[in-house]
Amino acid sequence: MLKDITFGQYYEGKSLIHRMDPRAKIVLLIIDMVFLFLTKNIYSLIVPAVQIFLILAVSKVPAKMFLKNIKTILPIIIFTTIINLFYGSGGTVLLSFWHFTVTTAGVWRSVYMASRIILLILISSVLTYTTTPNDITDAIESLLSFLKIFGLKTAVHMLAMMMTIALRFIPTLVEETEKIMSAQKARGADLEKGKLFERIKALIPILIPLLISSVRRAYELAEAMECRCYNGGVGRVRMKQLKYSLVDLYAAIINTAFCGGVILLNILL
Amino acid sequence: MDNQIEFKNVAFSYDNEQGKRDIIKDFNLSIKRGSFTVILGHNGSGKSTVAKLMNGLYKPTNSDGTVLVDGIDTKDEKNEIEIRRKVGLVFQNPDNQLVASIVEEDVAFGPENLGFAPEKTRERVDEALKAVDMYEFRKSTPHHLSGGQKQRVAIAGIIAMKPECLILDEPTAMLDPKGRAEVIRIIEKLNRENGITVVLITHFMEEAQSADRVVLLSAGEIIRDGTPKEIFSDIKTLKAVGLDVPQTTELLYELKENGIDINTDAISVEETAALISAALHLEEK
Amino acid sequence: MSNIIEVNNLCYSYDGDAQIVKDAVHNVSFTVKSGEIIGIIGHTGSGKSTLIQHLNGLLKPSSGEIKIEGKNIWEEPKKIRDIRFKVGLVFQYPEYQLFEETVFSDIAFGPKNMGLTGDELVGRVEKICDVVGIKREYFEKSPFDLSGGEKRRVAIAGVMAMEPKVLILDEPIAGLDPKGRREVIEMVRRYRQQFDATVLIVSHNMEDMAVLADRLLVMNGGKLEMFDTVYNVFSKGDALKKIGLSVPMVTRVLNTIKEKYSGVRTDIFTIDDAVKYLCELSAGDSNA
Repeated sequence: MLKDITFGQYYEGKSLIHRMDPRAKIVLLIIDMVFLFLTKNIYSLIVPAVQIFLILAVSKVPAKMFLKNIKTILPIIIFTTIINLFYGSGGTVLLSFWHFTVTTAGVWRSVYMASRIILLILISSVLTYTTTPNDITDAIESLLSFLKIFGLKTAVHMLAMMMTIALRFIPTLVEETEKIMSAQKARGADLEKGKLFERIKALIPILIPLLISSVRRAYELAEAMECRCYNGGVGRVRMKQLKYSLVDLYAAIINTAFCGGVILLNILL
Repeated sequence: MDNQIEFKNVAFSYDNEQGKRDIIKDFNLSIKRGSFTVILGHNGSGKSTVAKLMNGLYKPTNSDGTVLVDGIDTKDEKNEIEIRRKVGLVFQNPDNQLVASIVEEDVAFGPENLGFAPEKTRERVDEALKAVDMYEFRKSTPHHLSGGQKQRVAIAGIIAMKPECLILDEPTAMLDPKGRAEVIRIIEKLNRENGITVVLITHFMEEAQSADRVVLLSAGEIIRDGTPKEIFSDIKTLKAVGLDVPQTTELLYELKENGIDINTDAISVEETAALISAALHLEEK
Repeated sequence: MSNIIEVNNLCYSYDGDAQIVKDAVHNVSFTVKSGEIIGIIGHTGSGKSTLIQHLNGLLKPSSGEIKIEGKNIWEEPKKIRDIRFKVGLVFQYPEYQLFEETVFSDIAFGPKNMGLTGDELVGRVEKICDVVGIKREYFEKSPFDLSGGEKRRVAIAGVMAMEPKVLILDEPIAGLDPKGRREVIEMVRRYRQQFDATVLIVSHNMEDMAVLADRLLVMNGGKLEMFDTVYNVFSKGDALKKIGLSVPMVTRVLNTIKEKYSGVRTDIFTIDDAVKYLCELSAGDSNA
């Protein structure tokens, strides 16, 4: 999984969502997440639910891809649902045993909580399915660039450079780890058996070669970067310039409308 | 004709636990503009140090030693960027030279550092990728490319800065035969068609075939300097310094040792076959 | 001679993302006799690496079976580690897997995993070092202070110390200079002699294969393309060329000569044989 970090979960496509500026996607995602938490009950949750399913449809990413993501966190969803069943007070008592009682309010509450988590997963999946990790990195760099006014220009650049290099090298290092593991296994290393301490000790033959090789790679990469006129990002101009388009404007307007809907329902109900 | 790179009395040494170690000493070498020079040397002959001295990554450690790039002293810190831009350096391990996880963004790294406008960088990137025949892979991730392809991307990353001179430090050492052939073809093309001065550092003799000049390095000293034919006919020296001699040259040498009157300055299979046919007075049957 | 390795209908496919094209293996069957030296050739991605990792149980076949000394290695999956002591596998650039503080303890890692301790362990390490020519004075050195060629030899000795009956080496001489290459080849030869071992070597270097191997196993696109004597495989130059491989350079020289002068032999694959043959030819020529 880590090996394919370059494309992460990216699902290639040309939908309106794919075409949005990654910065706009991140900002709107954050706003939508906040509003998901602002909904007071199951009724006001209907607005973001409608909005999120609309976004999903527009993204043209197959439904099964989203289901896959929900499946991975299913245990958390189930856990939340069960816990919340016992929390609601009021309404008719449906079930009562030992110290626990389940009321209709509790049922509503757990449905509400579970739906909120599912929606949260869905909306964040849209970002990762329609945006490459590279674009996300660029967007974060650009979004954080306001920190420049606090004299943090180098810090922002370094963060972005680190993310870029990480994206580039994680697959290489994962492959290298696998190779070293195979080689040590071929010498009879037992990585699966034993107590915790023994298991940790068994990792030394893998971690040391990995560490040595990473240091060597880092050193060589630094020299190669110097040869390519890198000097800490001073005066560096990116080839890929992020640009907002009309799609982003429309998305922002529509998003605002839905957010308004949430506020309205919160007041009315 | 003027010199692209000039070494004058250069020494390079470093200190370690065992004390001071001289890598090269009293080193003099000039590389002509537009030429294709191969520096041959075994492991530890000092050839990587020479490469890194050429673009100022290393500086001479003696005060009177100078390396001039286009007449500019590499010791002067303020010339750093200008020198790196003129003299591009490609290393052995392609994996450890690529910065970005998308091919075209990696190639853009150099021009971006030079502060070019995005359109100009774009132009340079496309041009460079086409020059190394990797344009169709511009959206790929290096992780999915073969060794030879990755090394070509690394070369594109240097070419995109439009250097006058390209130094390659054992660019094929980690590649399979196919990858090696691809990379050598591209290097030869860049020299011939784009007029880039090429210094290829290697321990594979075969790669020196189409060079203008071969410099043989051993223990930090230049022990031979001449045309490929001149150098290759001296197999004794090549073997003595621990170099790889291709089977073709070896065969000619052995035949001569066995008393056959034969020239021994060929490397390619065709030339070797022709020399043997001539020496044995083979007749068409 | 008995069959030490028997591979029947081996298939392997990497599951997971189709985006990563890895070399799979399709329906490969062959047997290796005890004591043979087998050269495995094929270009990158032909399935060579996948194949050899099956022989010591690092990979489990999708279907088919592998028998070592007549016994299916996956009969008792829990004992798969024992197979690794019987079939030693040296990976490409093995020096990158060194990790111990001293040469001695790095070489001892394998035998230790076999359960050897005390004098027995020391004896094991000393024995292999004597066989392959690693001097005692190296024992207390850090493996990271050695030269490239020395590191490689220590790493290979680390696998040999388990005294496997089958020794598999993946590109053991890649990246070495001629001296380093000679030393590694010599150490493999000595190991084989001392332990009556069967050796499988993966290499791109046809010239070395011609000198070293008894038989060549040619992989292409995950399939077993040829498995025959060096003579028979290198006699099929055109078939090899089609799958991106070549015959040794001397053979190519003779082939080129033959294009003009028919009657020249082209079934010669080593320098020594070529020199002998051409000298004879020359003598015949001057006699005439």
